[in-house]
Amino acid sequence: MNQNQGDLLKKLLLRNSKNGRLASAWIALCIGCTLLLISVMIWSTFQDLLKGKNNNHDSLGSTFLTISKVVDDASMADKGLTQILASDLEQIKKAPQVQDIGLLTPANFKVSASIGSGPMSFSTLLFLEAAPDRFMDQMPESWQWKEGDLTIPIILSRDFLNMYNYVFAPSQGLPLLSEQTVKALGFTLTIGEGAQQTHFRAQVEGFSDRISSVLVPQSFIDFGNKQFGVQNTVNLSRVIIKVGDPSDKGFTSFLNKNKYTTNAEQLRFSKMRSIVEVVSLATGVLALLLMAIGALVFILFIELTMAQAQTSVKLLLQIGYSPRKLSGFLTFKYIPIMLSALLTAASLAVALQYIVSQKLNQLQLHISPFPGLYLWVAVGVSALILLWQISRSIRNAIKA
Amino acid sequence: MILGIHQLIPAPLKEKLTNRNSDIWLQKLSFTSPEYISIQAPSGTGKTTLIHCLYGLRSDYEGTIYWNEESLRSKTGEGIAQLRSREISVIFQDMRLFPELTAWENLEIKRCITNTTTPQDVAEWMNRLGIGDKKNSLAKTLSYGEQQRLAIIRALVQPFSFLLMDEPFSHLDQKNIVLASTLILEVVRQNNAGLLLADLDKNSFFPYHKTLLL
Repeated sequence: MNQNQGDLLKKLLLRNSKNGRLASAWIALCIGCTLLLISVMIWSTFQDLLKGKNNNHDSLGSTFLTISKVVDDASMADKGLTQILASDLEQIKKAPQVQDIGLLTPANFKVSASIGSGPMSFSTLLFLEAAPDRFMDQMPESWQWKEGDLTIPIILSRDFLNMYNYVFAPSQGLPLLSEQTVKALGFTLTIGEGAQQTHFRAQVEGFSDRISSVLVPQSFIDFGNKQFGVQNTVNLSRVIIKVGDPSDKGFTSFLNKNKYTTNAEQLRFSKMRSIVEVVSLATGVLALLLMAIGALVFILFIELTMAQAQTSVKLLLQIGYSPRKLSGFLTFKYIPIMLSALLTAASLAVALQYIVSQKLNQLQLHISPFPGLYLWVAVGVSALILLWQISRSIRNAIKA
Repeated sequence: MILGIHQLIPAPLKEKLTNRNSDIWLQKLSFTSPEYISIQAPSGTGKTTLIHCLYGLRSDYEGTIYWNEESLRSKTGEGIAQLRSREISVIFQDMRLFPELTAWENLEIKRCITNTTTPQDVAEWMNRLGIGDKKNSLAKTLSYGEQQRLAIIRALVQPFSFLLMDEPFSHLDQKNIVLASTLILEVVRQNNAGLLLADLDKNSFFPYHKTLLL
């Protein structure tokens, strides 16, 4: 099709395509697309927040629980009853809502910590535990230990420090200790007994809100248990699990039925997930409706323009123009307009995601500053549906 | 190019035409280009209906119309477009120009379909028919006579094997009829095409091989 022919066809077929009407249709389509893409983005962001991008990060949709067997009268008499066996682990893995499971390996050897020397010294018996790295909420860079290292990094439960500062220290007239001070204080760990006794230097590297324990790297516990262990096997009695919705009835009844105990407050985990899912679903439905209305306005604009050009279309067909050529000409005219609305909508959505990610960062909620694949899939699918709908409307108008 | 008509009768005129003696309705006929046919058709005998049926604008008829042994009914939209742009051309009685386009644009939009005629030829034909000065006038502002000459030129700017004409000179005076028919004959001969002209009365616009009564 040459320039001259294109101009003449435009004059005949698009002369009724008033700029104001075109702008309104474009804006309607753009608003519809923007809302749809934003709802896809909200949904996708909620999914990220619900599922958590990283395994060791808390998210709205999962939480970490430490579970162990209930200590009752029977287990008081038989310590073995609180042990978590391989068969128990298999059972927990299959429990509802459980996404991941990790063993909390206790030190199977004597440990004491001491600080200072002479009359100013202080010493206490201690326990140590190790958790798999993917379950740690704090992972300082120095969180590693290999045989031969004399310094052991330690992560302490923040609860322990709080209890010292707010309960123990005031009642005993002892000084308060900030996290920085505790991190700065090194102490000596004495491992094992008798001739095998070995001293290590220990340094608190961080505080955990997730695991109530004194944590050391897994490699150190494995080494210690092998080297200084008082038993050949390590008896596990606590595991840490990542669960989707801890308030799920299936999960809580599993715990009760199998006599597991955990922090009951965690089981009353808010209904945030359900609310978020309902909100994201409602946003999606609303956006789809608005997108459909936006698309409808745009399609009706095309159909109105075509209806007004119907006499010219008929005459063009009568003088020998092929329906395919006329459809192609009109489709080619409307596609860039549709694409520009869609790309503007995508740009707005991308900008919004960036702004929201910056705002959420301030609230310690980390989402990607750029939309993920879902947005581009939504853009592609919308473009294809609109393309199909526009071609169909034009073909029908030319057939009529 | 062969035009075949077999037992053709337009449905709306069936009752009226069935008992009438006609050389065309309900007959079996075949015309081969470059054959020149005149159809003499008194008012109300379906002259325009016949042209429209042959050109594929109407399908409310019984019987069959063949173009090159292929039934017109079996043709798709694309097939009909191909036929109208390359094989058969038409001069409508009611001209059917685009009123919002200029005289020149009305010809250009047709010429651009096949691009087989040069703009120079078209300009020359306009001059020959005395409407060279109307190039930039909107078609709707032209007189009937000027519109008819424009419609004649438009029918000639494409390649064709048959030219269908429905009272092509109804708004022209004798001088312009001679000019127009001379041009038409010249271009029909260049295309080695046939022509089929339907008019109210017997006429001698072209050297017909056959004259049929509708």
